[in-house]
Parts: sequence; structure tokens; C-alpha cells
Amino acid sequence: MRAIDYAFRQGWASLRRGGGSTVFAVIAIALAVSVLGGLLLVTWNMERLLARWTTSAEFSVFLRDDATSEQRGLIETLIDQSGAAAGREYISKEQALVRFRREFADLASTAAAVGDNPFPASLEVRVQRSAEADGRADALLRRVATLPGVADVRYDRAWLSKVGAGLDSLRRAGLVLALLMAVAAAVTVAAVVRLGLHARREEIEIMQLVGASIAFIRGPFVAEGLLQGGIGALAAVLLLWAGFAVSSASWGPQLAAALEGLDPQFLPARFCALLVAGGMAVGGAGGFAASRHAV
Amino acid sequence: MITTHKLSKLYGRGLYALRDLTITVGKGEFVFLTGPSGAGKSTFLRLLLMKERPNEGEIVVNGHNLASLSRREIQEYRRGIGFVFQDFKLIQRRTVLENISFVSEVIGVSPAQQRRRAFQVLKWVGLQHRMNAYPQELSGGEQQRISIARALMNDPALLLADEPTGNLDPDLSLEIMNLFREINAGGTTVLIATHDRELIRLVGRRSVTLDSGRIVEMAEGMRA
Repeated sequence: MRAIDYAFRQGWASLRRGGGSTVFAVIAIALAVSVLGGLLLVTWNMERLLARWTTSAEFSVFLRDDATSEQRGLIETLIDQSGAAAGREYISKEQALVRFRREFADLASTAAAVGDNPFPASLEVRVQRSAEADGRADALLRRVATLPGVADVRYDRAWLSKVGAGLDSLRRAGLVLALLMAVAAAVTVAAVVRLGLHARREEIEIMQLVGASIAFIRGPFVAEGLLQGGIGALAAVLLLWAGFAVSSASWGPQLAAALEGLDPQFLPARFCALLVAGGMAVGGAGGFAASRHAV
Repeated sequence: MITTHKLSKLYGRGLYALRDLTITVGKGEFVFLTGPSGAGKSTFLRLLLMKERPNEGEIVVNGHNLASLSRREIQEYRRGIGFVFQDFKLIQRRTVLENISFVSEVIGVSPAQQRRRAFQVLKWVGLQHRMNAYPQELSGGEQQRISIARALMNDPALLLADEPTGNLDPDLSLEIMNLFREINAGGTTVLIATHDRELIRLVGRRSVTLDSGRIVEMAEGMRA
């Protein structure tokens, strides 16, 4: 406990003595954490949107114009008994036309020009999330498609998968970039801590001669790295938050529109804590690497 | 207290700093190690402090064979040794009190004990009124007294000093030697490396003269 107390007191003192070089190390950490944090912020909000799309996923079963009520009843029974549906709604041909006219007012005249109502009746089925994940939704879809009275089924999940995969790729690329920047930041911290180590050569020599333990000798350098990392990461999180607040105030409606009505949210506290811990880990690693030159 | 047997330290090709050195220093003894520059005095002290390892021979200090000590045992061993250097080796950005209590702090002694002991040793060297001063504000003699106080912080059984009066005038040198004599009177074994033969004569203790890493003379002193 005394060694930890000593390490942080000395680490803090060294940090304050470091001046410009300390600022440089803190900026390096802050940059690395900002990149990772910014990326997390974007993907976090995109994932919320994706989650909404996923939970509101539904497939449409378009019925033939000559489908009988018995055939429709059979389809509905199969859907209800599958356990994959969270609900369903029958949309008649007339309702489909009304909906088209409402949602695509500009094209209403086109539909009128065709004469007969060209829209088929359909069943819109909301799919349970678990059924989507374990493949029951796909199985139901395949069975429904073979039933008499069914003209077509539409289940546009491919684009959702593509968006999800795109987000994953973005996250991976960001992680690689942040990792590279973290390594660079750790090297910077190590260099800065080593400068302090050289300035304290005599002190270290005396510590060794009086029989100080390794924890006492190396601890202050590791603590200095941890503190640099923590301060850098904290600064990065605060900057991100400030940037987010300004963006929300300036372009709130546009951002909400881009997120289909979802209010943009800042990173949850656990993510912020993880970013700060990550920054501390990077700084601590740099400090530890430098401290190996002390003994 | 200290026994060496056929101790050799080799630097580079065929350049011996110490050669076949066999010496015994008894518990509670006060011994001078003397000789010209390059005789091997400082090398011997560095071997005792385990800053370096010998190439041949063995060193036994207080029953510990230094060759067989683990890292943790080396730390324990060093806690029983005080050291004083010619250039004082005080930390310039720490006050006198901090310089002294620092050596107890880094071996995990409680703050209350550190302060108690620091006041004791500062009072003993007569510099308690300078405890908040920085080393650069002190004279050479005062700095060396602080250095001695620091060496006494952990109540060592063995005190090593490498040219402790090398930067001091004759009067101050004698004053510092008197401090060493008092420390020795308390039971601490004292081994001082110095090339100042006049000082050795004045203090009047046993001396071992080295030249080119070998013992060339041993003399019993006439206690002053």
C-alpha cells in the first residue's frame, strides 16, 4: 500500500515537472482515444438505429387476387402456430391502394391511370427477434411461399445484414487505427517517462543502494504513465462530449432525421469508463516499458 | 564483519582493479582503505555495495556470502549498509528532511517513524535547524553531514564511505572524521576509502593500503 501511495505521489510530481513533454504525451493519448471514442460514438448511434430496424422487421405475404378465404385462413394459421411471428395484419387491396396514395402522393395519378386496383392484398407479419436469429423466420417464410393463394413473399433482410456488416467493418478498421495510434501513444509516453527517469538517475541509484524494492523503484514511472494515459483519455472523452453537445445543439433536427427520429445519444457511462481505462492501460504500458530501464 | 578471500575484479583485457584481495574487517572495527588513485579502493566498496560483482573470489559480510544472494536478499542486505560519497549524492529538488527520510520511505517505513528517526539523526549531526533547506543552500561540510545523517537513517551495521572528505578543507575533514568516530563508538563497523594519509594519521585507526588492486601495506593505527 505504501509503495502504491509513494508511486502515485512521485508519479504526479514527475508529471507536473515534465511540462511540455508531459503535454505532448497526454495529447498523443488523447488523439488515440478520440479516434476510438469518435468511432464508437458513430457506431453506437448507428447500432441503435439498426436495432430499431431489426426489432421492427416484418415480412409481407402477397396474396393472389383469386386467393380464397380458406387459403388465407390456412396461411394465417401457419403463421400463428409457427411461434416466429410477434403479430400480423391483413392489408386488403383497397387498404394497399389507400396507403400508396398517402405515402406516394406524387404518384397517385399513376395508380389511377392503371384503372383496376393493381395492388395485391397482403399479410404483414412482424417477426420475433429470436426467430430471426435462430432461423425460424426463414423456415416459416419458405413454407408460406409454397402455400396455395400466395403470389409472393418479401423479406428484405439482406440490406440489414449489409448495414450490420458495414458497421462491423467500420468498427474493425477504427479499432486497427486506434490500436496503431495507441502503440504510438505508448511509445511517446515511454519516451517522456524515460526523460524523467534520466533526470532521476541519482535518486534511483540511492534507492537501489538503500535496498528499495522493485515496486518502489519502478512504481513511480508506471504511475506516471497511468496518470498521463488517464488524463489524456479523460480529455478526449470531454472533448468528444463537447463536440457532441455542440453538434446536437447546431444540427439536432438533421441528426435526428438521419437517425429516423431517434435522438442522437452520447456514449453510455460504461463506454466512457472503458475509454479512460484503455487510455490508462496504454499510458501504464508505456510507463512500465520505460521503468524497465530503471533497474 | 567483512571477509574477502582471493577477491579479483577485472576490467577489460587483463586490467585488474582488484587482484587476490584477502582482507578481514572485524565487527565494530574502524578501518581506512587507502592508496593512490586507481588502487582499487572504490572498486572494493562497489563490490561490498553489490553495485558490481567480482570475477573471482568471495565476499562474506555479516555471515552472508554475497555471491549467493537473491535479488530480494540483496535488497535486505543493502538495508543494513549505510554509504557516504565524496560528491554527497543529495537530491537537489528535495529538502534536507526529505533527503533523509526518503531512504526510509522507499523501504516502506511508516511516515511517523521516518520523521522520528530523521529528527534524531539531524539533531545528531547538528543540522536540525536546516531541515527545510535545499542542498544547494548548504555548505560542503553541511552537505556531507546531511549525507552522513542519511546513511544513519536505517541504523546500519556497516558504514561505507568513499572519499568522504575529498571535497572538504582540512578542518571540516577532521570534523567529519569525528562524526565517523562517534558512529563507530556506537558499534557500527566503519570502512572509509581515502587517499588522505594525514587524516588517517590524525584519526589513528587501522589502515589497509592498496596499489594496483593488491594489498601493499597493513598498519595498526594509534588511536587519537
